[in-house]
Amino acid sequence: MRTETLPPETTQAAIPAPPSPARAFWLAFSENRGAVVAMGILIVIALAAIFAELVAPHSPTEQFRQFSKVPPFWMEGGSWRFLLGTDDLGRDILSRLIHGARVSLAIGVTVAVVSVLIGVVLGLVAAFQRGIIDTVIMRSMDLLIAIPGLVLAILIIAVIGPSLTNTIVAVTVVSLPRYVRLVRASALSELGREYVIAARVAGVGKLRLMFVTVLPNCLSPVIVQAALGLSEAILEAAALGFLGLGAQPPLAEWGAMVGDGREFMRSNPWIVTFPGLAILITVISINLMGDGLRDALDPKLRRT
Amino acid sequence: MSTFKISTKSMLAATAMLAVMAPLGLSAKTLVYCSEGSPENFTPAINTTGTSFDAARPVYDKLVEFSRGTTSVEPGLAESWNVSADGLEFTFKLRKGVKFHAVKDFKPSRDFNADDVLWSFNRQWKADHPYHKVSGGKYDYFGDMDMEKLLKSVTKVDDYTVKMVLNEPNAPMLANLAMDFMAIHSAEYAEFMTKKGTPEKFDQEPVGTGAFSFVAYQKDAVIRFKKNAAYWGEKAQVDDLVYAITPDPTARYSKLKTNECQFMAYPRPADLPEMMKDKNLKVINQSGLNIAYLAFNVQKAPFDKKEVRQAINHAIDRNAIIKDVYLGSGQVAKNLIPPTMWSFNDNTKDYAFDPAKAKELLAKAGVTTPVEFDLWYMPVQRPYNPNAKRIAEMMQADLEKVGVKAKLVTFEWGEYRKRAQQGEHQMAQLGWTGDNGDPDNFFFLRGCSGARPGGQNITKWCNKEFDDMLVKARALTDMKERAKLYAKMQEIQKDEAPDITVAHSVVFEVMRANVSGYKQSPLGGHDFRGVDVK
Repeated sequence: MRTETLPPETTQAAIPAPPSPARAFWLAFSENRGAVVAMGILIVIALAAIFAELVAPHSPTEQFRQFSKVPPFWMEGGSWRFLLGTDDLGRDILSRLIHGARVSLAIGVTVAVVSVLIGVVLGLVAAFQRGIIDTVIMRSMDLLIAIPGLVLAILIIAVIGPSLTNTIVAVTVVSLPRYVRLVRASALSELGREYVIAARVAGVGKLRLMFVTVLPNCLSPVIVQAALGLSEAILEAAALGFLGLGAQPPLAEWGAMVGDGREFMRSNPWIVTFPGLAILITVISINLMGDGLRDALDPKLRRT
Repeated sequence: MSTFKISTKSMLAATAMLAVMAPLGLSAKTLVYCSEGSPENFTPAINTTGTSFDAARPVYDKLVEFSRGTTSVEPGLAESWNVSADGLEFTFKLRKGVKFHAVKDFKPSRDFNADDVLWSFNRQWKADHPYHKVSGGKYDYFGDMDMEKLLKSVTKVDDYTVKMVLNEPNAPMLANLAMDFMAIHSAEYAEFMTKKGTPEKFDQEPVGTGAFSFVAYQKDAVIRFKKNAAYWGEKAQVDDLVYAITPDPTARYSKLKTNECQFMAYPRPADLPEMMKDKNLKVINQSGLNIAYLAFNVQKAPFDKKEVRQAINHAIDRNAIIKDVYLGSGQVAKNLIPPTMWSFNDNTKDYAFDPAKAKELLAKAGVTTPVEFDLWYMPVQRPYNPNAKRIAEMMQADLEKVGVKAKLVTFEWGEYRKRAQQGEHQMAQLGWTGDNGDPDNFFFLRGCSGARPGGQNITKWCNKEFDDMLVKARALTDMKERAKLYAKMQEIQKDEAPDITVAHSVVFEVMRANVSGYKQSPLGGHDFRGVDVK
């Protein structure tokens, strides 16, 4: 707006206007080329997942029994009908990967969103209330951290039974403590700042103080953590699927695809290779993008 | 992770073994068998799994034995026997001069005699026997083979003669005695353990008369046996026999390739083509005396209706299952017993794969589709079923096409069998490997006494006509008469369809090319008497 009101010659001579926050973020983010490429890949995967029915050449559960274990098209005996080949039951691997992306991303995103929401609330409550409530919340989080993530997830699944929703529940519980601790720690450091004291003096209510005054200032580490947590959630869900405790057949899920296909590792390697690659590429992309996000959001690392 | 840990452990154990044996020089020959799991203990009478039977087999003899690689019965510790004309009295003449193994602290003072035979019967039979309650005191096989009901008395005539009297004639009896649970133990050793105050050790450190004597056992790692030089029968060809316990089939295969073991249990069908190409390995196979089936729980609606069961039979494409799960090493099962078994009825009319007919039958039975049923699959690989989950997925896809949604369910293996035997399922996969080559050993799986909650007939189907014939055939000794009854029973079963008889598998055994003299048992067990390594 300001640039329009000023005469053009002045703009060129004077210090350029500070970019909008979104633009500043993009400038910082786009300096990391790896992160941009990773984001591109993720966008493609996400689009494929959302429009799976349109993109996938076949149904993910259709068993083409006369075409079991067809290799990918570039190998001998492969066909253009099944680009990445078929699995041991004659299901098209590409279609299963595309539909599997939906499952994996849905798990990842749901887990990240739900655990951020719960984590923020618990963390802020712990930081603001202190005393017994703080102790109860934080010690129970310590308890969850004390057990290795995957073991805890298996334990939860053993109690509530294997299914897609239960996978989400288990992985959420496992990743929750990190958010709670993160939010509590940064909220505590913010609480002593002048602007918070000023707000208090001005008579701002506790809820407003929590969510309007303090929260926005703790948000950037949480966002970075959420991005990294996304990849961990996908990995953990895949591990559960690999063990047969995640999404149940006939649903296509990457981890389960690797688990079911591993006996063909020697004879028909493509059955495990592609779902394995899908997990690898997705997780690396998310991590690269998370790194980029951290660099872009952290004021200390930002170039002046 | 755990498989990795176990395999490293057993590898270490095997290496340690080799190190121990090295100073003995070249003369010591060792056969290492990569087995699939740890035995619960070494007393077959209190076990039910093939893994435990395999582990105890080198140590023990029975009164009569299955001749190696067949189901025919030959003399064992009983040199000869007479059966009275009415089929009720069996008189066994025992072998003389048979020595029990001497182990580290027990040295037998006498030869094997009638007391040992009586002891081995009575432990399982008489509740007041001092060892009846030792190690859990559950004698599943003794009970399942109806031995309690059948036996009237077992008495010692003299030191080398034992007389067994039955309540009713029973054709499979002699074959029953050749089964693992009738292994003959040393009464003297039992007494010795009682005196020491450690009766449970009797089941952990076995003493028998077999071709190998027990040396040591380390759970999840290794079992060691050594040759019994004083063996009365066909002597062992190797000096040491080692079971390297390796639960993961891929790890077993790698060990076989590197000659860490010379023989492996249960190869994965997917690995077979590569194994057959390998010049260092030898692959042998035999159609197994087994059956994989899908049982309907006929006590739960709508499976109480014959049409529904027949519909599902029509809905499932078993040929595809043979091709994609058994990878061709199996055949579609028409009846409960495999075609190689006597009394197999080739005239039964099997259900063709016909989804349209299936839909029609479902509609006729008043089932409104779509409908959802539970379909259980075993969590483990079995000799008759290489991958129950994959079969379940194929059945699920087939059923989907006739409007039936199948929800796949599984439990831990022990829990699975318990729940299926309680009849908690709607449809459940299971199977059976024959114990003694007698058809009765298969058909009792559909008999009324097994249909009680907890019984082995998981279809819970109790058909009066079928069961009457089952009981009648058991009491006959004329094979032709029995075969007639069994043939009729197969027709009833096929028509009533309490199950889908899915497949008979071909059982593969893989060994190093320098292993000779192994005879594959149709009963699925492993027996290393007479096996040599060059």
